[in-house]
Amino acid sequence: MKMKWFKVLCLMGITAWFAGCATMEAKKPPYELTTKGTVIYEQEFEFTTPPPGWKLVKVETREGSGEFAFGFLKEDPGPFPSQSMFAYDEDPFGCSTTFEEREKEFFNRFLWNAALNIQVLEKKKVEVIGREGLEVIAEGKDPMKKEKARSKVVFGKRGDRVVAFYITQWRPIDGNYDSAPFEVFDKFVKSFKFLKKSFYETL
Amino acid sequence: MEGHQRNLSLYERFNARVLGVSRDDVTTLKYWGKGLGVTFPLLSNITAFLGVSVGAQAEGRPIFSRRTIIVDKAGIIRYARDGSPDFKDVLLFLKKLNQEGGKP
Repeated sequence: MKMKWFKVLCLMGITAWFAGCATMEAKKPPYELTTKGTVIYEQEFEFTTPPPGWKLVKVETREGSGEFAFGFLKEDPGPFPSQSMFAYDEDPFGCSTTFEEREKEFFNRFLWNAALNIQVLEKKKVEVIGREGLEVIAEGKDPMKKEKARSKVVFGKRGDRVVAFYITQWRPIDGNYDSAPFEVFDKFVKSFKFLKKSFYETL
Repeated sequence: MEGHQRNLSLYERFNARVLGVSRDDVTTLKYWGKGLGVTFPLLSNITAFLGVSVGAQAEGRPIFSRRTIIVDKAGIIRYARDGSPDFKDVLLFLKKLNQEGGKP
């Protein structure tokens, strides 16, 4: 008799468990594919995705601002720290609304934790998201950890506010940089579109 | 603080002013603010009475906890959130407060 009750209880438990599963909704991914081969991300941005091998990552934001930032990461062949990562940042370091000032503020804090001595190598005006922008190439080295990083940062505007795209490629100090991830980044930036006005533009 | 600096023009639109309060001394705040490009006032409150009055001074800790407070014209605290500021939430609250006529 005891065994029968035990079986009934087990069956009820299993039924309840499956019933619970049936009511669980699968979490929707934050993006959807378009027929043009692009991706619409959180109904707000459209862009060309990088080829296989790049993983989507959420970028940590400063001061818990809640500002949107996401990117893609790829482990590159070679010893640590060989990797490339690029991101769109809605709220890059700094406060100024002019590119020249913002670039200085940005590089005061960009990769600050890595303690690299970052030098700006090249700056030029570019068109980004249909408006004038500023592209900066910088490189930093840490002779103690024997690491180096090369970054390209593209500052653009969304409404009155400065936004940024950036890629950083890490290598051992005697390693060679690979241009292919930078080309993927350029394609991403070129394809990037805003599908709606930002929170600040509609406030 | 950088986030508040970026939003200064929006705060102005909603008739709000921003102040930072810290237990650091004036000289430290001067250099810290300059480094971040902060142009709004940073108040040095070494004796901590301001932080204590708004509940930002945890017992036994030498510094203030992060707390965002919105005070209206009558001096009433209308908004208080612990932790890092949620700038969008702050702006929406200020917009609402401004529309209600309870200018901060």
